[in-house]
Amino acid sequence: MEAQLSIVHLIMEAGVTVKLVMLTLLLASMASWYMIVQRFIYFRNSREDMYDFEERFWSGIDLSQLYREGNERADSGALIVGMESIFRAGFKEFSRLAKQSEMDSEAVIEGSRRAMRVAMLREEERLEKHLSFLASVGSTSPYIGLFGTVWGIMNSFRGLANATQATLATVAPGISEALIATAMGLFAAIPAVLAYNRFSNRMDNFLNRYDTFVDEFSSILYRQAYALRSRDRKAG
Amino acid sequence: MNSLYAKPATPRIILRPALATLALHALVIFLLAANWTFSDERVVKPKPAPKVINATLVTLAEAQPKPAPKPEPKPVAKPPPKPEPKPVPKPVVKPKPKPEPKPAPKPAPKPEPKPAPKPVEKPKPEPKPEPKGPTAQELAEQARQEAAQREAAAQAARAAAAAAELAASYASLIRQTVEQRWSRPPTARNGMEVLLSIQLIPTGEVVSVSVLRSSGDTAFDRSAIAAVERAGNFPELKNLPPREFEQNFRRFRLLFRPEDLRY
Repeated sequence: MEAQLSIVHLIMEAGVTVKLVMLTLLLASMASWYMIVQRFIYFRNSREDMYDFEERFWSGIDLSQLYREGNERADSGALIVGMESIFRAGFKEFSRLAKQSEMDSEAVIEGSRRAMRVAMLREEERLEKHLSFLASVGSTSPYIGLFGTVWGIMNSFRGLANATQATLATVAPGISEALIATAMGLFAAIPAVLAYNRFSNRMDNFLNRYDTFVDEFSSILYRQAYALRSRDRKAG
Repeated sequence: MNSLYAKPATPRIILRPALATLALHALVIFLLAANWTFSDERVVKPKPAPKVINATLVTLAEAQPKPAPKPEPKPVAKPPPKPEPKPVPKPVVKPKPKPEPKPAPKPAPKPEPKPAPKPVEKPKPEPKPEPKGPTAQELAEQARQEAAQREAAAQAARAAAAAAELAASYASLIRQTVEQRWSRPPTARNGMEVLLSIQLIPTGEVVSVSVLRSSGDTAFDRSAIAAVERAGNFPELKNLPPREFEQNFRRFRLLFRPEDLRY
């Protein structure tokens, strides 16, 4: 009595190369799922942080007050990321440059914009971390799976060459076992591609928001810088 | 964040993704490892009267002992308990009730169905004069369409019934064939039944047999499997339309339950 071939049984029976391919694909799938979930949580957190910060920023709070609050949190060990870190970079540079009275307002603004640009690049780096891995899993794992399948089928046909009587039953298990590799490759690739597209789209959204924020914030800083310098001129 | 140019730090999110990943892969592997038995397998109950009759030519010498015991028990069993005078009233009583019920039901249902369809048909021509010309035509059209639909539905139902009957008859054929090949193990008792799952291919060959529900007696189960394997193939299934085959016989459940056991 021959029970139906179970998939686990087929995997155990596979050759070394096919097994290696399957192991690679399993690891790729696990890693890509880990990154998918990790990115998902990170993106969700940073979106919430962004909304919270924007709300506070536009609530009319004193900006130096906002900066000090951030300082307290940073001292207590919290990691400040997202829009707030851009704000802090810009504000810090602005207050440092504004103290130097020989700097004119254009130079102050330019300096703080540059600092914000750098902070934004840092943010971009954080957002797109792991995304390239998802992209490469999505594009290569079908090929790896295909390699395993071709290898397995090659072997099962080579075994057939020695058999005098070739029936479907002699090749079918080999082919079935080889096709598992393709299935696994697709299993790893499909979520990775979907997640990559989704996350890169969301990353663009984040960067757009950050860009807009940099422009808005530097327009506020412009006003302050001019007010500061005209006060200096009147005083001096 | 004291320095803007410090080493970039990212928030550590490790535990939840790791758990989610492990859970997902464990689930997938578990689902694959679990041997699926699809729920759409049907147990086709064999009908006692098969459309396909398995006829075997029997020589007269063999056939003679069979008819002999049949007529024998009847005359032997009946006359001894009943005394001689009784046979006389019996033939008198028997013919009487027989003709009576027969004519009675026959005329009764006949007149009934006839008037019934007539009033149904009559209202159709009636609405014709009442509404204007086109509506009457439309009504007629509608009536025709409805009739066609009813006809189609009835036909589909008839076809389904015929298919079910056909499937049942093939199932009973398979059961007969298997029972013929069955050799009774000494532990077999009346009322034992084993549910077998037989995988067939369209040529009627058996691909695999397995026990879905054991009878509790391994020898009996084994003998049933051996019987199916000895039968090997059921060439009659080739005549079955492919759809029927896919529906009922690709994975066929056979309730093996020999009833002619003496004890």
